[in-house]
Amino acid sequence: MPMTSREYAWKRRPGWWLRNRRYLMFQLREAGGVICALYGLVLLNMLVQLRAGESAYTAFLDLLRTPPVLYLNVVLFALVVWHALTWFMLIGKAQPIQFTRQPLPWKVVFGINVLLWLGVSGAVVYLIFGGI
Amino acid sequence: MAASDVVFRVKRYRPESGGRPTFQEYTIPYRSDMVVLDGLNYIKDHIDPTLTFRWSCRMGICGSCGADVNGQPRLTCGTYVRDVHKGAVTVEPLSNFPILKDLVVDFDDFLRKLASVTPYIVRKDWGDLTKEYVQYPEDVEAYRQQSLCINCMLCYAACPVFGSSPEFVGPAASALALRYNRDTRDEGADARLARLNTRTGVWECTFVGECSVVCPKDVDPAAAIQTLKFLATMRHMRRLLMPGSSSR
Ligand code: SF4
Ligand code: FES
Repeated sequence: MPMTSREYAWKRRPGWWLRNRRYLMFQLREAGGVICALYGLVLLNMLVQLRAGESAYTAFLDLLRTPPVLYLNVVLFALVVWHALTWFMLIGKAQPIQFTRQPLPWKVVFGINVLLWLGVSGAVVYLIFGGI
Repeated sequence: MAASDVVFRVKRYRPESGGRPTFQEYTIPYRSDMVVLDGLNYIKDHIDPTLTFRWSCRMGICGSCGADVNGQPRLTCGTYVRDVHKGAVTVEPLSNFPILKDLVVDFDDFLRKLASVTPYIVRKDWGDLTKEYVQYPEDVEAYRQQSLCINCMLCYAACPVFGSSPEFVGPAASALALRYNRDTRDEGADARLARLNTRTGVWECTFVGECSVVCPKDVDPAAAIQTLKFLATMRHMRRLLMPGSSSR
């Protein structure tokens, strides 16, 4: 923004996101998004290994089953869940479709979305592991 | 320092001598019912008349007394010292704005952004001005929350997106755009959405949500921005699919 010569330009302090819990949670969400995208590359590599043949694919799966990779997956999963939850919070705030006369409290919309999400996730898990 | 004293650490910037802003400490008498603005006025009246800060109404209406108090943007007239007093009360100019002097920041940029969303009723034709534009209670209720904004800019000080992208139109201007878009008397919604559906508009917002936390009037600008994203998308889709459709 244009400034007169005597103004003192504001400078953001390093570590600003540690100033309060909400900034930290926001940064975690953003970092979660980037990490999820990078993990997509791992899954793409899985396809490459599949194409390379059975032994390459099995070796890659074995690598994915090693404890460090499993721990990493737990952290990534937590970040993905957090990322998704924050977007459900957003839907509650925006409420583009209003079914009631007064807007519903955002926590109610958030809760409905989370329940739907759990339902759909449960269905997907059942489809994959349920033997259909 | 007596037990009934409180220390104010106030950020000072003296444009005439240049240099970096520095903290200056003042020890003043403490009263349990004092607000931060009372402390600043005590300093100005009794200790240091050069200390510069804005204020007017002392009752959370004019929006001019905002400052970062112990790291959080607040109205100094609405913040009790007893609620923030942890050893010392640190008062700094609002984050994200250039400093003019001490606690006074330059908000010309904010006013330009506000003007860019035409924060007033726009009509193509005012028609018969002797006629009333009737509004029912539910019409008023539709925009009441956003209309409470007092332009205090605390939301801008709390927004890290505005901190890193100063061209972002920001929370209060967006909330006020929604306020007028929801007004049944207004006809400027399409132009406002066109303004906000730009690179410097609502899409800059990554929904940190801190603007709504610090807002002293419960305007919830974060919610207003998310709603505007939806409305801007609907407008875009309507123009794409039905080029001849009405603008509203
Ligand atoms: S939205 Fe709230 S915090 Fe922002 S300027 Fe208006 S009253 Fe102040
Ligand atoms: S002095 Fe008017 S809002 Fe604080």
